[in-house]
Order: sequence, then structure tokens, then C-alpha cells
Amino acid sequence: MTRALELTGVTKTFGALRAVDALDLAVPHGQICGFIGPSGAGKTTAIRLIMSILFPDSGSVSVLGHPSALDAKDSIGYLPEERGVYRKMRVGAFLRYIGALKGVPADAAETRASQLLARLNLAEVLNKKCEELSKGMLQRVQLVATIINTPDLLILDEPFSGLDPVSVQLLKALVLAEHARGATVLFSTHIMAQAEELCDRVVMIHKGRKVLDEPMAGLRRQYDTRSLHYEPLDPTAEVTSLRRLPGIERVEATSTGAYLVRLMPGTDPATAMRAVTTAVPPARIELARVRLEDVFVRLVAQDTDGSAGALRADLQGLGPAGGAA
Amino acid sequence: MKKVGLVAKREFVTTIKNKGFLIGLLAMPVLILVVVALVPRILDDRATPQVRGDIAIIDPTGRVVTGLRTALDPAVLAQRRTVAARQALSNVPSGTAQAAATAAIENALGQVPVLRLVERPGTADLEVEKAWLLEASPDAPRLALVAIHPDAVEPAGLDSAYGTYDLFVSGTLSQAVQATLTTGVRDAIVGARLDGRGLQQETIEALMRVPAPDSLIVTATGDRPARPGFTRSLPFILGILLFMGVMIGGQSLMTSTIEEKSSRVVEVLLAAVSPIELMAGKLIGQLGVGLLILAVYTGLGVLALLSFAMFGLLEPSLIVYLLVFFLITYLFFGALMMAIGAAVNQMNEAQALMGPVTVLLIGPYILTPMIGQAPNAPFSVVMSFIPPVNAFAMMARLASDTPPPVWQVGLTVLAGLAAAAGAIWFAAKIFKIGLLMHGKPPDIKTLIRWARAA
Repeated sequence: MTRALELTGVTKTFGALRAVDALDLAVPHGQICGFIGPSGAGKTTAIRLIMSILFPDSGSVSVLGHPSALDAKDSIGYLPEERGVYRKMRVGAFLRYIGALKGVPADAAETRASQLLARLNLAEVLNKKCEELSKGMLQRVQLVATIINTPDLLILDEPFSGLDPVSVQLLKALVLAEHARGATVLFSTHIMAQAEELCDRVVMIHKGRKVLDEPMAGLRRQYDTRSLHYEPLDPTAEVTSLRRLPGIERVEATSTGAYLVRLMPGTDPATAMRAVTTAVPPARIELARVRLEDVFVRLVAQDTDGSAGALRADLQGLGPAGGAA
Repeated sequence: MKKVGLVAKREFVTTIKNKGFLIGLLAMPVLILVVVALVPRILDDRATPQVRGDIAIIDPTGRVVTGLRTALDPAVLAQRRTVAARQALSNVPSGTAQAAATAAIENALGQVPVLRLVERPGTADLEVEKAWLLEASPDAPRLALVAIHPDAVEPAGLDSAYGTYDLFVSGTLSQAVQATLTTGVRDAIVGARLDGRGLQQETIEALMRVPAPDSLIVTATGDRPARPGFTRSLPFILGILLFMGVMIGGQSLMTSTIEEKSSRVVEVLLAAVSPIELMAGKLIGQLGVGLLILAVYTGLGVLALLSFAMFGLLEPSLIVYLLVFFLITYLFFGALMMAIGAAVNQMNEAQALMGPVTVLLIGPYILTPMIGQAPNAPFSVVMSFIPPVNAFAMMARLASDTPPPVWQVGLTVLAGLAAAAGAIWFAAKIFKIGLLMHGKPPDIKTLIRWARAA
């Protein structure tokens, strides 16, 4: 599979701060790659280096087969974390202008803008001034501007940051639609749950350094939890008896009233699941998936200066929003 | 290049569509048009009614009345006005231009007044005569009372000075007619004094008259007329045009850059164009704005000169030089102002950094009239090679009586282009870093550090 994006040994420093440190990254065509890490990890700087908005101190960047994004900007859709519009401009004119800058003829830009706005339930705003729109509407207009050129590579920097729930769902659908069309997607986020939901693959970055680069499937295998989420059909059922079943190591109660059934090493999850279901009928039973948040915290545990709690809160989207490094 | 053109077009169109810009651009030309076109019409003799009225005179000497009657004769007044207009336009080249200009001024001054002299007895009571001024008159309004002092023509004693006269006027008398009257009274009294001494006024006037010649500059290729005084103001005028074009274009550039940065649209743009393309597009777009300002004001100036048939005073090559030096000066200051716009977050933060740039722009402008006065003094010559003064200095020298040699003009252009290239290089580095920087606004030292780091 050819690579849509490749970084080799890219380093960028700002004074004493090494924002990106010898970063290697290869994203094959057609993948959805999550670029994840806590706030200040260097994600935005790395993306700006990919976009040739900043230039590396050392290392090389290849985008869609070009040695610089400057040669491929018309084929890239980039949604920066800090995004704005010309407030006095009409939505249609703004989208046509951005389209023209990306090499889209005016007629084609007009048509595509109308189609995309309609898909995002904004068909009526084409002739309105940007300053007349609500924040949620503006965010959707910015998304349209990002993909007005039908990009081959879509780079989204914290795309869900500050979005209302409706816009989050619309954006997810739009990203998946672009991916289905054939676009390669790289998006950064500091909220791991979003990456788990969308990505084929994740690249984790911490303090400018890459700490993980795995397909989600491989990650699930590698970080197998050997656990089942279990909730009995009868809430008063004697669940502790489950630990006497073969292959079951222990049973832990959770704060929600459900249980985590830990499996012994080498136990086949399907066999264990059948045994549990037979012993105490479940209302719900499923294989516990690896959580990126746990993987990340485990990977950088020795490097968190005792602030694992704050780090975990950030990765759950409860901490400060991601910022430019 | 296409993307640069798109950015430039948007920059230009957005700026000139702005209401504030349009008002600023058009306010001064409209004012000039009002002055040039409307004021002469308002004062036009066809529009302004001719002043008619009575002037009473008490002349105890009996020797001033005759002279005053002659002085206030409409034909004499008209002739005197024409002579005065010609003197005022003595700097305008003779021929068609002068005739047209004289006619324009005479037209603006309006019709000569018709003033009837009413003689009162030399022993008349002044208070009674003053009351005459207030009485309503059935045929002509009563405009003024002139009371000649008994010693106005002959001093009271050998060591005494000449006396004068008192003037009482009605509240409706205009300043212009009053000036005509006082000039007439003065001429009549002086004429009477000369007669008393047995002297002819014409003879004295002839003795006093020494017409100023048009000076000729002697050059190796022959004599040529020196530029008249009117055109001595050209360096100043051209300096204003340069200053205005650069200041307005540069300010717009800075403002639009700050707006794009503070509204966070700049990174959206950088997704489609490189920082250098963005910067070049903005610079070119506002260059168009500056050229538009220059074209409007220069066009109005040319129109004014044409309307007074004085276009011959302006060397057309000066307009070409103005364009060249505007381009150089704009690129220098525009680049610096854009760098400031990229470095700060808000307009008020830009003020501190704009200080040195404003000094660099105003300083040369202030020097322009001085350099125009002494275009070939060593100071002027040196200044015309040192950016950013050089463009202003060379424009002033080119508009002077003795324009500099061509090689000096070429050297000034080269020095200006080099400085502009340096400013653009510096600004590009600041622009690339500053656009994405938010937070504490940088000082000059920080800007220099950015330029080194980029």
C-alpha cells in the first residue's frame, strides 16, 4: 500500500522546547489514522509541519508523494484547531474563495458547497453573512470549507473540540463518508474515546516523541484485557460463584453494579463466555476492549511526574482542551 | 501566482468596498472639488449681485474728492483688479495659460462695484452725517462715510506728520468693497499730496516700477527658464501624495492582517496557500489600494491644473517618477506594517511597534520641503541615497529648478529597491512566525529574534 503521508526523523524546537522529537510517521492511502496524545504533546506542531505551515529543523516530510505539502495543498483538506472565517463575508462567497484558493473552479465550488451545506442541514445559510451564524453553524461551515476541494488527504486537528453534540455526529458521518470515498484521514485528538470509535490505526505522541504506532486491531490483540464485562439478569444472583468456573481468575464488582470477570492467561474468551452464561444468565456480557486511555497511561506512566490522574482526565476529555505545542 | 492573484484581488476589493475607506478616499477630493468648482461659481459675477450704493465724503481740504471719484470709477476699478490678478499670477507662464488663469481669477472675484460719491460740506457735523448712514434710502443703499482729516493732504506744521481719515461703514458693507474703498481713498489722498508738491503721480509710479524678470538658468545646452514659484510647492505636494498613498495602503495592510489573525481565519488560508503566497497577495492587493489613492489625488491635481490651463507647469515625467518612488516606498513600509500586523493580536498592541515605523515615514516627509529648497546641497544629495528618505528626497529634487543627473536617480531607485527587498525579507520571516503566535505581543527585540530564528 502506498503512503499518503510520511515523516522521517522530523524534529522541531522552539527555543529550549523540543516540540516534535525525531518523529517517524507513515500513513498508507485510505486509512483513518488517529494522532493522539494529551494536550501539549506536540500534535498541532506536527500537523503544521506536515502542512508546511511550519518547517522542521531536521527530518523530511512527504505528502501525497510530494516533498512538501506546498506542492499538494489543492489535494489536502485541512481543518486547523484554531479555525475562523471572514465574518463580514457571505457563506457562499467565503466557500467559493477558499475553493478558488484550492484550485476549485467557481461553478464546481458553488455546487459542492450547496451539496455539503445541505448534507449538514445548512442549505439556507449560503447567502447569509458569516457573522449572522451561530457558533455551531460556523463550525459546520468550516468543515465544508475543509472538504470543498474533495481532498485526497484530510487532516483534522482536534476536529471535535468545541463542537456541539449534533455537529459531532455530523462530523463523524462526514469523515466516514470522505473515507468511504477514498480519502486518507489523519486526525488529532486528546480524547481517546473518539479515536477508538473512528480509527483504523493510532499513533500516540507524548512530549513530542512517538510512543505507539499500531493498527487498532493489533492494539487490541497486544493489549488484550483478558476480561469480560458482565451484568447478571437477576441483580440478586450469586455472582462470586463464577470464579469457581474453569479459566476464571477473579470477579470484580464495578461502581455501576456490573462486574469485570478476569480470565486466566490462555483462556479462550468464547469458552469462558459460554460457561458464564450457563452458570448465571446475563443481562449483558461482552469482551472488555482495550481502552486507549489505559494503553497511553501505561506507556507513559514512568514519565508522567506523578500526574497520571490529570493525564487520564485530559485523555477522557475532562481536562484542558488540547493546545498548540 | 494564481493564488497570489486571488489573495490580492480579495484584499483590494474588500478594502475599497469598506465604507470607512470610501469616505476617507472621497472626502478630500470632494472638498477640493467643492473649492475648485463651486466656490468660483458662488462668487461668479453672474451669480452674485453687483454691489451698488452711496459713499458720503466730508473733505475739509477740498482736494481729495476729485481723486476719489476717479479711483471709484467702475472702469478704473476693473482695470486695477486685472493688474492685481496679473501680479498674483506673475509666476504663471505667459500666454494662453496666464490669460486663462487671469480670466478664471477675475471671474471668481465677481463684478466691480458701482459706488456713487455723495459730497458733504467740509464743515458738516460728523454725528449728523453718521446718522445719514442709518437712514433708509429709496434709490441706493448708504454704504460708508469717509471723513478726511484737515491735515491729510498738508501737514499742520513743518515738523508734523500727515493726517489721515476716518471711515464709518454700514453693517452690510462687504470686506471686499471696503477694501476697494480704502484703496481708492489712499490713492486719492496720495494723489492730492503729490499735486501739492507739484509732482505727477504717473511719474512717481513710473519711477517706482521695476518689473521682475523671469530668471533664466544658464546650462551647457542653453538657457532655460527657471521654474516659477508655483511649482516650488511641487516637492511638498508630491511628498504628501507619497506619504498618503503609503500610509493608507500600509495601514490597511496592517489592519487586515490583524483581523485575519485575530479571527483565526489565517490558518484556514494557510491550508490553501503558503505564507509567502499569502504575504505577496496581501502586499500586492494593498499596493493596488495605494495606487488607487494616488491615481485619484493625482488625477484631481491634473484636473485642477487643466481647469486653470496650467497643466504645462507639470513635467509629465514627474508622474512617472512618483509612481516608481511610491512603489519603492510602499514595498518598504507596507512590508514592515504587515509584519507588525502579523506579530500582534490586537490593533492597540500595534501602536508600540508602529512608533518607529511612523517616525521613519514622517521624517523624510518633513525633510521634503527643505530638500526642495536646496536640491543640490550635499545634505540633499546624500539623503537621496539613504533609504527610506531617498524616495522623498529624490522626488523633491526632481521637482526642483535643477533636477539631479540621471545616474543619481538610478542610484536612488537601486538603493530603494534594495531596501524594499530587505524589508520584505525581514517581514516574511516575522510574518511566518507571527501569524501563528498568540499571547503577549512581541517587542522589537523579539521581532529581531524571530527573524533570526525563521
